[in-house]
Amino acid sequence: MEPAEVEFLAEKELVTIVPNFSLDRIHLIGGDLGPFNPGLPVEVPVWLAISLKQRQKCRVIAPEWMDVGKLEEIRDQERKEDTFTRMPSPYYMELTKLLLNYASDNIPKADEIRTLVKDTWDTRIAKLRLSADSFVRQQEVHAKLDNLTLMEINTTGTFLTQALDHMYKLRTNLQPGETAHSQDF
Amino acid sequence: MSEAYFPVGPGLGLEESFLSLDDILMSQEKLPGRAETRLPRLGFALGQGTGAGDAITEGSKLEFPLWLAKGLHDSKRRIISVQLPNIYKEAWRTVLSADASVVDLHKMGPYYYGFGSQLLNFDNPENPEIAQAILQTFISRFRRIMDSSQNAYNEDTSALVARLDELERALFQAGQKELNDFQSWEKGQASQITASNLVQNYGKRKFTEVDG
Repeated sequence: MEPAEVEFLAEKELVTIVPNFSLDRIHLIGGDLGPFNPGLPVEVPVWLAISLKQRQKCRVIAPEWMDVGKLEEIRDQERKEDTFTRMPSPYYMELTKLLLNYASDNIPKADEIRTLVKDTWDTRIAKLRLSADSFVRQQEVHAKLDNLTLMEINTTGTFLTQALDHMYKLRTNLQPGETAHSQDF
Repeated sequence: MSEAYFPVGPGLGLEESFLSLDDILMSQEKLPGRAETRLPRLGFALGQGTGAGDAITEGSKLEFPLWLAKGLHDSKRRIISVQLPNIYKEAWRTVLSADASVVDLHKMGPYYYGFGSQLLNFDNPENPEIAQAILQTFISRFRRIMDSSQNAYNEDTSALVARLDELERALFQAGQKELNDFQSWEKGQASQITASNLVQNYGKRKFTEVDG
C-alpha cells in the first residue's frame, strides 16, 4: 500500500465545517450530506471540506484533539509508556497533514501542532522498531499491535513481513525431514 | 502495484524455487569436493581436460557447481563427496556467533542464506549447527538492516549494502522503498501526478525508428 492510498482512506473521516453558502441536502453514494446553511456548523468528510475550503466556501473547525494542550499530553503519555498509547484518531497523521496544508489559517498554532504530531509519530516509530527487533531476536511467533495506525503499519509492513518470511523458512531448515518437498507454482 | 514486474523470491530451503532468478544464479556457486569414483566424460563439464571424452580420476579434488553437486550426490553410492565452504565451517560459525553484523557476507558468497540452506541436502553431520548458525546470523543482522534501510534517506547507500548478501539487499530495498514513499508523501510529492514508468520508457525507442 502506498501512503497516498492511506491518505485516501483518511479522507473519509468527518470534520466540522462552517459553510458560508446555502445548499440543500446532497445525496451521495456514501450517504447524505448537508443541508448547508451560512454560519451553521455541519459535519462533512475531509475531502469535501478541503474542496470547499480551497474555493473559500467554508471555514474548517479543527477536530477536538488538534489542540496544543491535548497533543502535548498525548506526546508525553506516548514517551512515558512502553506500549503504544491510543491515538485520538486512527488517521491522526494524515488528518494533521491534510488540514494543516489546506486550512492552516483556521487552525490556531498550526506550526506547534505540526511539531507535536511529528514528535509523537517519531516516538511511536522508534517504539515500533524496537519491538520489531526484540520480536525477531526472541523468535516470537505472534505479536499484538494494539493502537497502531494504518500509516504506521504501512511504513514498515513490507520490510517486516519479508524478513519474517525469510526467518520462518530458515527456521524450518532446523527440522529436516519435516519439510514438505513441494513447491507452489 | 506500481511495478510491472514482481521478482520471485528465493526458495530458501532444501528446495530452490524454480522461478527465482536469485536461486538460478545461486545454483552455479562453486562447492569444493572430491570425486569418490571415476567419472567418465565429465572432465569437459568441470573444465578439466580438453577432449569431450576425458574422464575424472578417482580421488581428484574438484569444484562442483551446486546444481551438479546436487545431481551427483547420492548417499548410498558415494559418487562425490562435498566439503563445506569456509564460511559455513566451525571457525566462521564462531565468528558469526560473536558478532555477525561486521562480517562481509557479500564477499563470503553473495548467497549466504540460500546456499547455506542448500548445503543441508548433503547429509553433513554438522547440518543442525549450520542451520542454526544461518538462522542466528539473520537474526543478529536484522536490526542493522532495518535501521539503515529506514533511515538512509537521500544518501548514497552503496556503503550500507556493500556487506549485505543478496537476500539482505532485497530486504534493504524493500525498506528503502517504504521510506522513500513515506517521505515523498510527507513532502506532498505523492499528490503530483507523474507519468507511469512504463510510458516513460516507451517513449525512448519507437518501433518506427527500429524498423527504419
